[in-house]
Amino acid sequence: MISRRDATAMLLTLGLPATAWADKQAPISIVINQSPWFAGFAKLVDFYQKQTGNKVSLDVNPFAGTIEKQRSSVRAREGLFDLLPMNSAYLAEFYYGGFMTPLNEIDPAFKLDPQIIAYDNTSWWDEAKKANSPATGKLFGVPINGNVPVLYYREDLYTAKGLKVPETWDELMANAKALHHPPQIYGMVLRAARSASDISYDWMPYLHSYNGAIFRDEKAGDFTVVLNSAEGKAALDEYLALTKAVAPPNPGSFGQVQVIQQLLTGKAAHAINVIAAWSQMDDPTKSAVVDKINVALLPHAPGGKPAPTLGHFIGGIPKNIPIERKKAALAFLAWFQTYDSQVKYAEFGSPPVRKDVLENLMSKDRKYRFMRALLDSAPYARMMHTIPEGAQINAVLELRLNQAVIGEQTPVSALNLAASEIHSIVEKAGYKTAQLPDLK
Amino acid sequence: MNDAARNDRLWRWLTLAPALAILTVLTLLPVIELLAMSVHEIAWRDGQSHWRFIGAANYAALAGDQLFVAGVANTLVFAVAGVVAQMALGFFLALFTSHVVRGQGFYRLVFLLPILIPGIVIGAIWKLMYNPDFGIINQALGLVGLEPHDWLGEPSLALASVIAVDTWHWTPFCFLLLLAGLESLPRDVYEAVRVDGASAWQELIHVTLPMMLPTIAVTLVFRLIVAFKVFDEVYLLTGGGPGTSTEVISFSIYRRFFTEDRAGYGSALSLTVLFTLTAAIVLAVTAVQRRQMRP
Repeated sequence: MISRRDATAMLLTLGLPATAWADKQAPISIVINQSPWFAGFAKLVDFYQKQTGNKVSLDVNPFAGTIEKQRSSVRAREGLFDLLPMNSAYLAEFYYGGFMTPLNEIDPAFKLDPQIIAYDNTSWWDEAKKANSPATGKLFGVPINGNVPVLYYREDLYTAKGLKVPETWDELMANAKALHHPPQIYGMVLRAARSASDISYDWMPYLHSYNGAIFRDEKAGDFTVVLNSAEGKAALDEYLALTKAVAPPNPGSFGQVQVIQQLLTGKAAHAINVIAAWSQMDDPTKSAVVDKINVALLPHAPGGKPAPTLGHFIGGIPKNIPIERKKAALAFLAWFQTYDSQVKYAEFGSPPVRKDVLENLMSKDRKYRFMRALLDSAPYARMMHTIPEGAQINAVLELRLNQAVIGEQTPVSALNLAASEIHSIVEKAGYKTAQLPDLK
Repeated sequence: MNDAARNDRLWRWLTLAPALAILTVLTLLPVIELLAMSVHEIAWRDGQSHWRFIGAANYAALAGDQLFVAGVANTLVFAVAGVVAQMALGFFLALFTSHVVRGQGFYRLVFLLPILIPGIVIGAIWKLMYNPDFGIINQALGLVGLEPHDWLGEPSLALASVIAVDTWHWTPFCFLLLLAGLESLPRDVYEAVRVDGASAWQELIHVTLPMMLPTIAVTLVFRLIVAFKVFDEVYLLTGGGPGTSTEVISFSIYRRFFTEDRAGYGSALSLTVLFTLTAAIVLAVTAVQRRQMRP
């Protein structure tokens, strides 16, 4: 075990200020999902333990199991876990439920480092206004993963064919057609399966880039369901066109795992997937396409803007744990957000969440070439929804969109059904809502 | 009531008490809790749960829930098709094993192997075997000149593919119970029908099957109960998709209760399934008992 003095000395040697994390802290426990970015996070936690002597245990689960454990923990008299990586899909549940501690209640001097990417201001929560607002809200967490979807493409094939990185969906379709030679290689692999969050997450950038949305103005409290608008229809048509023209057979059964598998085995010329999957692309033990793939900011609709949907994780500290564990969890977050820790995070294979780290590393080594896309995506990144009924809304979208892909519903009926079902959910929950007339 | 009878009654209650206490704590109380949750809408604010009484609204919503309806339909198909196949195969294997002279132990071991494999491993094995690109099933089809299929990705094939895995997994259970039943049948009846010149087919139809009926009924009920609760195979192989093609009722309950965090509605779903299944089992067992009691 490293002593407090040794840890402090080590930090001073590394040129880091000896702050809270250098003090001996209570052991903490983190409940976390085994996502593609987990391996880098686990290595960083090991590094933290070696550097500071503080104990951190990881309770590792599949994605769905993690949210169940997080819910159980925050709802208990005393929580089991001290740091919760809250996924964007469930973030509102924790904020609305009043389960989390404002970080400045633990340490009034704590600040989110200005270099940390804001991710649609989701680290702040205004309990009165029910909104993410740095101006009026309190700081509830530190982003620990900045997952956004990016366009993965085969750079070697682009070079060979003289293709240009697509900026619009139409350009993507053209490039995908140019590289589509089934069954050896498919132009585009989509994440169109039905699960807790596959096709809804995959389709959302299409919807938003067409200026469509689920609700008219969620941030202003207008929950009128506008999913079945002309913009929604155009976005779904665009998506379905890709599934029909350049995707592998039965795209409705491809989830995140299958998309990554197709990329790694060289069967996908393009895919839209989270940046966290990047770490596997250049890993020779997993990938048949080492150094052949690159990533770019998502394409957009003509006249629209790219609209990557946040799939990030905010590290928050629950209310129902003793103060010494809260302090220990905050000490970890304070350490985590430093420049040097974030550089280590990148070296361990996970995408960092600091702008300066991304800017400084991306041109230093080809292995960091993914950072440009991550940085470019940050200003456009937005939440899919910000209410605790998000899981129910996802379930509706997953079913109806998947049915449109497999041909069980027409695009129009899928959107009308989804809009009507989402309207029922928000109406029952008491939001100010209305519905558009059915699309014809 | 004399002292002996009173003591006897007291003793009976005393010996029953631990079982009753365990049953109450592990079964009755959770069911009462489910019942209470099913008539409430449960929300979380300020770290506390807030229960709002909504009467039978959760139960009324069941009929309009497409996942529930699809789940019921698929579960029925899954249970009936799967269990019929498992019973038929299990019976055939049991007959075969009971008639072989040499290597009976070996056959028993081989036929029982699938049931010893954990569900998570079965999911992984079959997912690889069904893989449309490199799975052994498509490779075998290719060798005989047949077209490959996406066994779990094609909506028309997905449920049948899951049923096939369930049949592979659970046929050994039927085999084991039916073999035990076959081996306990009285030998003198067989000797008598053989003296009367009955063929093997007549022996099977008129002697073996009628005498095996109680064992078949018990095996069938056990298997149907487990088949109606299927979760792991669907979770691991298809996740209920594509669309609703492999949605089963346990998976619908899991989604509503856990993924969507709708404890009230999830409880209503759970209780509806629990009571429907219990009623069906009681009816089936009663019917079998009445048939057995007929002269």
